[in-house]
Amino acid sequence: MKSWVSERLRHRGWEASAFAIYLVVGVLPIAAGLIYALAYSVGLAGLLGKGFTLAHWTSLAGQAEVWLSLLTSALIAAATMFLTLLAGACFALGLRTRLRQGVVAYVVYFPLALPATVAAFFVFQALSDAGLLARVFHALGFIRRPGEFPAMIHDSWSLGVIAAFLILSVPYFTLFFSQVYRTEHLEELCRLTLTLGGKRRDCLRRVIGPIFWRRGRSHIVLWFIAMFGGYEIPLLLGRQTPQMISVLTMRKYQMFDLASKPQAFIAALLYFAIVSLLMLWAFRDERLDRDV
Amino acid sequence: MFEARGVRGALLGASLVAFCAAPFVLMPLLSLAGDWSFPDLAPGTLSPRAWLDFLGGNNPVGRVLLRSSLISLVVAASCTPIGFLAARFVAYDRGRKRWLLLAYAPYAFSPVILGTCLLFLYLRLNLAGTLTGVILAQSMFALAFAIVFFVPFWNRRVLAMEELVYTLGGTRLQAFTRVLLPLSRELLLICFFQCFLISWTQYGLTLLIGAGKVQTLPLMVFEYVNEANPYYAALASSLLILPPALFIVFNRRLVFTRERPAG
Repeated sequence: MKSWVSERLRHRGWEASAFAIYLVVGVLPIAAGLIYALAYSVGLAGLLGKGFTLAHWTSLAGQAEVWLSLLTSALIAAATMFLTLLAGACFALGLRTRLRQGVVAYVVYFPLALPATVAAFFVFQALSDAGLLARVFHALGFIRRPGEFPAMIHDSWSLGVIAAFLILSVPYFTLFFSQVYRTEHLEELCRLTLTLGGKRRDCLRRVIGPIFWRRGRSHIVLWFIAMFGGYEIPLLLGRQTPQMISVLTMRKYQMFDLASKPQAFIAALLYFAIVSLLMLWAFRDERLDRDV
Repeated sequence: MFEARGVRGALLGASLVAFCAAPFVLMPLLSLAGDWSFPDLAPGTLSPRAWLDFLGGNNPVGRVLLRSSLISLVVAASCTPIGFLAARFVAYDRGRKRWLLLAYAPYAFSPVILGTCLLFLYLRLNLAGTLTGVILAQSMFALAFAIVFFVPFWNRRVLAMEELVYTLGGTRLQAFTRVLLPLSRELLLICFFQCFLISWTQYGLTLLIGAGKVQTLPLMVFEYVNEANPYYAALASSLLILPPALFIVFNRRLVFTRERPAG
């Protein structure tokens, strides 16, 4: 394909220098970090490095801890993403006018500035056994003591973790779907579907759903990755075993036992491999090289 | 179609408002609570003690607030122009797709996991535990965001306008100051704000690269939570969330005028 950019305008010193800065600040450290992690994990670096060995990898392969952690992280991220898409689509479709004017149109933007740290602290205050929800239950006469309130923090279903992630993600996808609904003229497409004999269910299943998915796939994957590797929220609200992958990696990295450090790096490498594959899948036919 | 009307619409709207606004109500309220324990639904007394301590400099929150602001301003002010120029290189280069994938590279890592892999490098360079190190580490994500954000700006239309300047005898400086900067002013502002937020809310990288010596507001929230001091944690949280939230209220277009990567 013939390029639409003339050679005269393509090559500019300043722009190339700016990108070189990104490579130095952003990409090279990542490459160096990955190489170091790999070297550490096979005994070629670090205080324990005594020559090449696959012992750390083979010992980890036999332990369920890291695999369970990866699986738990993936399940929590998937469950949260499913609920996010459901809630986001419901709010975006059900509140189309309200999302453009009035109180809703302002308040829905608030959580976009909410750090995960604060979301975690808020959920801790709201859902712990002496939290706000427990007090409401007490006022309604459902419980008498905090201990009677069902565990939602450090619980086996990770309800608190999911709730905190939802606070961050639902408003984003509500706004995103609302924008897609407008820009893709979904209202008109749905009316056409009805005119052609389709039902409202067909609009959802055959028009809105596929378009939301196509336009939102890269966003969904990036959010999934953010939740999969989330740290602050599971640190404060998550259960101790199995821990989510970032928490486990950090714990193994910070342990006094130096033998656990290679395991931290292996967990980091496994995480990187999974996430890289996901990103490549998400962007495989995303038109990154499109002429905008 | 599908729009909830009447009572259903009002209930749905109210639930979304409650869902989104709850942290922004609870945090300031908790920071003002004199005593608020189970089973009280509302604080027994309101006391501005935590805020007075903050304003009077009796706790480190003020100092940390200033440091957080400084870090975020430096990150945003440096990453926005560099990302703007780097995006032009990416957009007009033959290897556009390859470079753009590289721009997404930091997003293939959780900040904490990235931090564990990077710490040795920062230690070697004597950057761990320093303000410069934290700024550089946070810039990885902010700069990547800025590049991804600006690439669509450098399109055929902008290129045609730039070429027109040269055809009419204009210089590169004139093309930049008279055409490109005015065209991109709003986008530059959006990117500045987003980069500021990326840095302002960063926890994992700051924790590791800062090595406990560079304290920022997100770290302070956790410190107070670990000390079982919910009132000060709520104060630090309020300072963390209220300024960007107020900014967003008055500048909604700065947040969601176009698609952006999550996280």
